[in-house]
Amino acid sequence: MTFTPLQLLPDALNASFKIIPAAMVSGMLLLFLGIGYAFRVADTEDLWVAGRSIGNVENGMAIGANWMSAASYLGMAALIALSGYYGLAFVVGWSTGYFVLLIFMAAQMRRFGKYTAPDFVGDRFNSDTARAIGALTTILIGFVYSVGQARGMGLVGIYVFGGDYATMVILMMGITVGYLALSGMLGATKNMAVQYVILIVAFLAGLYAVGYTQGYSTFLPQVEYGALLGQLNTEFTEPFSGTSYFLWIATAFSLIVGTCGLPHVLVRFYTVESERTARWSTVWGLFFICLLYLSAPAFAAFGTDLYANNVGSVYGANGMSGAEGDVIVVLASQLANLPTWFVGLVAAGGIAAAIATTAGLFIAASSAAAHDIYTNIINPDATQRQQLLVGRSTIIVLGAIVTVTALDPPALVGELVALAFSLAGLVLFPMFFLGLWWENANRQGALAGMTTGLLIWTAAVFNELILATESGPLVPIYAEVFPAVGAALVGTPIVFAITIGVSMATSEPPERIKQIVRQCHSPKPMGQQQSAEDIVDAKSGHSPADD
Amino acid sequence: MTDNSSQSDGTAPDIETDGGVQTSRRNVNYLDAQINIFKPATPFMRDHLKIVWMMFVAWTIIVFGPVTATFLAPDLMTSITILGFPLHYLLTAMGAPSGALILSFIYARKRDQLDDKYGIDHSTKQAAPDTETVAPDGGAEQ
Repeated sequence: MTFTPLQLLPDALNASFKIIPAAMVSGMLLLFLGIGYAFRVADTEDLWVAGRSIGNVENGMAIGANWMSAASYLGMAALIALSGYYGLAFVVGWSTGYFVLLIFMAAQMRRFGKYTAPDFVGDRFNSDTARAIGALTTILIGFVYSVGQARGMGLVGIYVFGGDYATMVILMMGITVGYLALSGMLGATKNMAVQYVILIVAFLAGLYAVGYTQGYSTFLPQVEYGALLGQLNTEFTEPFSGTSYFLWIATAFSLIVGTCGLPHVLVRFYTVESERTARWSTVWGLFFICLLYLSAPAFAAFGTDLYANNVGSVYGANGMSGAEGDVIVVLASQLANLPTWFVGLVAAGGIAAAIATTAGLFIAASSAAAHDIYTNIINPDATQRQQLLVGRSTIIVLGAIVTVTALDPPALVGELVALAFSLAGLVLFPMFFLGLWWENANRQGALAGMTTGLLIWTAAVFNELILATESGPLVPIYAEVFPAVGAALVGTPIVFAITIGVSMATSEPPERIKQIVRQCHSPKPMGQQQSAEDIVDAKSGHSPADD
Repeated sequence: MTDNSSQSDGTAPDIETDGGVQTSRRNVNYLDAQINIFKPATPFMRDHLKIVWMMFVAWTIIVFGPVTATFLAPDLMTSITILGFPLHYLLTAMGAPSGALILSFIYARKRDQLDDKYGIDHSTKQAAPDTETVAPDGGAEQ
């Protein structure tokens, strides 16, 4: 896959100001701001982990909304339509990873019970440097991931409000940042359940309406689109036509391990009431996710057929552009001649999806800055007021940088988001996994592993996106082995090996750290507000050891 | 089970004196039982990891099986059609996500049964925890 500069505007999309959709989207945005205001927070416990009070289904919905971004709502159908069978690697990677998260990490993370993902890295490996690398990675992930969201919001926004792409990106990001700075995690979690309902209703309504009015399907478009596959261009289903088996596996693998390493996903397990809730809310979350992921290929198939019949050929030199692909869900509804208000509903769902995910990412990034970098490293005596201030400033600054980058993004929405996954899979996943499942993983191992992961990822992105020329990546062989969206397939095992090797060559972690790890796997119940560290320190009766 | 001092890098032996006592599982001191995903030291972890590994293998087959089969036997996988879907497309687009969902459900059920077996209670209405220990973290109470 090559990354060529993107055409910013989708030609076939009817971009103009439309009164009813505009009213609907504005109403929805006001609702988010209202919920954020109603659940506004004044203390950090609520801002970061919603007071650890969230239940099964609510957390499941929040997992779903947090998860299903513009990349799922818009980008996935685009990838399936444009890249055929390769696009399914995204469906598989973005859904099945939750199972690995469930069996290996969800409950143990809840028992560890800290506030943020970098917290885990810093406390488990007893190192502020590790904490800082974890925090910087979290912020970097939030940045790369949100650029995709901002682009999705901007593209859909021009359908509803007309105007130009830049204005829309700035407007939508302004609203997201505004309500986040106001409400924090509790407001965001309450909002996420609402956002999930809006996005799934809009997506399914769009799919059913397009399928029914165009005669593709009646009751179960998720299965009935099979009949259409034979009529589409062979590019749609033919395996490995443009991309290799290796790239397919690399992409799916990266997305799976990335799922297990994403800070804004892991923090959802800190917000629940117990470890059993952590487990069942993951099952609920995956169920809610599957509703959309089983439907997206159907939407892509309908959209591709409608495009071929109404606009022109889908594949080839004058085929569908990346920008058109990125709005194929909205485009399909428009090409099916559905009423304007209805297309507006589908567009609103896309905006809800993008806002929910951006919210989760920004909360993760701001807690990394305020809690992990500022409070734990720079100013240990920080008051809650100062922490909130740093957290909110981070949200605003990050929002501004994301907005500027999104004005000229380097890749498709889905691809941009996939980059964040390979970063999480390379740097954070091995630390979480080894940290929880191998008590002898130590500080030196973690530092060596994380640095290696960061280097592999940075090199891949520079090689393929930033320094690449017209003829392709700077170093083609490196791009073969470490494709930017799938660098984790080869990279993650290397990071594992380095972490294990260095840990074995250096001294073992202190007994106290080992006991905290053991507490994460003990079957004994813990209090709702307790962390593994509290239990260990209470039992041994001494204050935190330093080594 | 001989489970002490069996790790590769020779930890101090005093930390796992009772890790394998099977008759009195209530008395296992979990803070002394070594955590190593390949060498579970307590009956609870052994039971748990048995489930985890079994299901992980099933998951690997469901997720990477179809695409690998398509790579190895492309003609076979693309020529069979079910409900209009070529087999490879059906197994990848629908089989993998729904398979993972079903496995997740089975795992959560099995884990609940394991909790019952070990008498783990997840009710969150238990007495408020010792506030002293959490105070430095902000100490927010219910």
